[in-house]
Amino acid sequence: MSSPISMSRIRDLNDEYGMFYSLGDGEGLDGSRFHFSAKDNLTTKDHPTTAGSKILSGYRPPFDAAAVESLREAGGVLLGKTSMDEFGFGTFSVNSAFEVPLNPYDRERSCGGSSGGAACAAALIDGHLALGVSTGGSISCPAAFCGVFGFTPTYGRVSRHGLLDYGNSLDKIGMLSADCATIAELFPIIAGADERDPTSCGHPPIGECRIPDSVGIPAESVKGLPAALRESFDEAVTTIKDDMGIEVKTLDMPMFHYAQPAYYIIATSEASTNLARYGGMRYGARGKELGQHFDRYFTAVRSENFGAEVKRRILLGTFTRMVGLRDRYYLKALQVRQAVIEEYRRAYKEVDAVLTPTMPFIAPRFDEVADMSALEIYLADHLTIPPNLSGMPHLNIPCGYVDGMPVGMQLVADHWDEGCLLQAGMEWGRLFGHVKPEVKI
Amino acid sequence: MKIGLEIHVQLPTRSKMFCACPTDGVAPNSAICPTCLGMPGARPSLNRSALEMGLRLAKLFDCRIPERTWFSRKTYFYPDLAKHFQVTQYDNPVGEHGVFDFRGKPIRIRRVHLEEDPGRIKRVGRQGEEMSLVDYNRSGIPLVEIVTEPDLSNPAEARQFLTDMLTEIRHTIGLSDENEQSVRVDCNISVGVERVEVKNVTGLRNMERALKYEVVRQTKMLRSKKTVVRETRRFDEERKVTLPARKKEFEEDYGYIGEPDLGVYNIRAIAESLDEKETPLTRAKRLCEEYGMTEGISRQLINTSMDLCDLFEDMAAAAGTKASLYLVTDVISSNWSRIKGILDEDLRSEIIEVARRYSDGSVNDLEARRLLRALFSDEEEDTGSTAKGDPALLEAAVEKAVSANPGIFDDYAKNEKAANRLIGDVINSTKGAFSSQEIVLKVKERLERGP
Repeated sequence: MSSPISMSRIRDLNDEYGMFYSLGDGEGLDGSRFHFSAKDNLTTKDHPTTAGSKILSGYRPPFDAAAVESLREAGGVLLGKTSMDEFGFGTFSVNSAFEVPLNPYDRERSCGGSSGGAACAAALIDGHLALGVSTGGSISCPAAFCGVFGFTPTYGRVSRHGLLDYGNSLDKIGMLSADCATIAELFPIIAGADERDPTSCGHPPIGECRIPDSVGIPAESVKGLPAALRESFDEAVTTIKDDMGIEVKTLDMPMFHYAQPAYYIIATSEASTNLARYGGMRYGARGKELGQHFDRYFTAVRSENFGAEVKRRILLGTFTRMVGLRDRYYLKALQVRQAVIEEYRRAYKEVDAVLTPTMPFIAPRFDEVADMSALEIYLADHLTIPPNLSGMPHLNIPCGYVDGMPVGMQLVADHWDEGCLLQAGMEWGRLFGHVKPEVKI
Repeated sequence: MKIGLEIHVQLPTRSKMFCACPTDGVAPNSAICPTCLGMPGARPSLNRSALEMGLRLAKLFDCRIPERTWFSRKTYFYPDLAKHFQVTQYDNPVGEHGVFDFRGKPIRIRRVHLEEDPGRIKRVGRQGEEMSLVDYNRSGIPLVEIVTEPDLSNPAEARQFLTDMLTEIRHTIGLSDENEQSVRVDCNISVGVERVEVKNVTGLRNMERALKYEVVRQTKMLRSKKTVVRETRRFDEERKVTLPARKKEFEEDYGYIGEPDLGVYNIRAIAESLDEKETPLTRAKRLCEEYGMTEGISRQLINTSMDLCDLFEDMAAAAGTKASLYLVTDVISSNWSRIKGILDEDLRSEIIEVARRYSDGSVNDLEARRLLRALFSDEEEDTGSTAKGDPALLEAAVEKAVSANPGIFDDYAKNEKAANRLIGDVINSTKGAFSSQEIVLKVKERLERGP
């Protein structure tokens, strides 16, 4: 499967696009079964693991993440670790203490996030498989912006052993690749129960490969979509109907509206506890003054080494689980999550999968990103959050180009029904006119 | 006066609560792994035996056990807490609304929950150059926390209550004395209106001292018309006083959320499948009623060992209460530390046999004690050729004495007292394995039969 690609070529690409935080020497690449990369929040014994944060600079974990371990055992060669938003907190991969990856179709633009480096590597390196991680859309978003397939399995399908947590009840390890067949072939390798992660699950098995008979488009999902994106999406829907023979219905899914606030409350509540451990004691950044009271020491290390977005989410998450507010926010959000799951279940009585655009705009330029408020950025995730909040498997499918930039659509299936997504993706891949990014090296 | 206790007991599991590290690490940081060190990417998986011990205790206190339980994160920053959150239980703990029958007075149990222990901080270095080191061997060792309602009325009662409770706990989950010494208690006490909490007191004696100190302190304040403020204090073991604790350390908002890395456990079914053994205090009560022994003796028996009680009851069934009680409280309990190590089925039946012979008068008390002591103290001979009480052995010893005394039958025919020569030889050669009465009988029977 591995296309002949040299490490020197990959190094050149990395110099231009900055998709790798840490790049290996490609030992074993020649003659290997396949090559892959891991998002930098997956632990690796032979590369530092920082999750894009200064607070983990220089940290070398003592063990490989389960997904990395499995792919290596299957004969894959790990090329390196891909850049990301710090701890996965972002939509454009600009919230990193290190290098920001540049979009393969336009280096003035963002790759999306938080698995930006992964999407960039998937788009630019032939035959590559990038391991990504999604909490609220961190695979779908960059896959859409970089024009690749971005697959997020059911929550619990892949062991999280070795994943640096963002929101444990939401985090899912998935795969990005320019070719959906690569994902379909390699996904079973990382799927299944692992005793090191009690939330991982081996059952039911990955569904039989069949494309869905029908898909539903929630009316809410196309509201306010810019005309050019709407046009591109409608065109794709026509292809789905006419060329793939899939029945298309319109759905009413009002819970979409509540998914976003619920997501940010659950995700930040969990994140604020997960990030508590980073205090400069046993790994990562060290404080300068060891003689002070521990409160001051932790405060100093954390103030100095966490980025602004990390601090914002810790504050948000700490607020929503405070005494007196916990019931109003955290517990309420858990109820909303249940309601969103139920809404999807109702939809699956009518259709096999739910289809939406992936992002409400094409990859923005970095100067546009800089002008966006935190709230505007959070709102950009409104179509990727519902499947993530409900733990449903989903796939970004590159479906067109607007102003030379890729546009994606997102197919969501019921829990454990990944098979139908991957089959639909492969079928689509045979019909779609994929445009490779032009690389001037 | 109202006293309520929050009792923390380490559960005697072999491995830690959420990882496979052993719980008996000695050298600092020798029993650690990525999970109990809180390394990024490592996560917990629950030790089932810790959950079962928690459920056994919830059953012991007759708690309401919910259908499902789960764990929560209690977040606070402290150097010994590896993840800066403690995995504990907040909603739906393993048991709620229980009761403990303290010598006829019901003490209500508010809740029983499971949690992990943090590591331990050690101060080292010369004065002025001290530094803190953290030992994570303790990090992740399972604890049970038992919270009582404020139903205790004075420090002495609190201590007696906790002693009784620990007796029951010890037997229910197999707690050793060593674990018992590490019991930590948060004491809530109010003499007037407002309550004061004394945190993290180690051991029974310190708990009573801390409570007594608070009684005196709060009473004095009330007498002099001062207000007792609601606060958290700590106990200074050396000076034996309670002192105000730094507010920040104990009065934070812990911001509990569910622990998303662990699942929801259907515990009602597990709890129902756990067998219930008779507890020591219930047994003490039954022993008094069934065998007419005093409360003091019944407590002595259960405090020594439940195995000793088993032995006693087996003896009593075979040899009656009086003889068995005499032997058990005398020679057996004073040799118990030795007996418990070698008490197999053979020894058990030999002990019962001695009791039986003592009770039917075939041996007297001195002989019974000597026989028993011989059973415990000289294992080599016990298992050798002179196994005790075997009639064939007595027969052989008599035959041997007969051959060693040629002409004994003639002598006996002339004077029956000649039998004493044989009796003396047999007693010497069997070294107390048989009572003199048995030997006399056997020898006379042999001599009557003729050569």
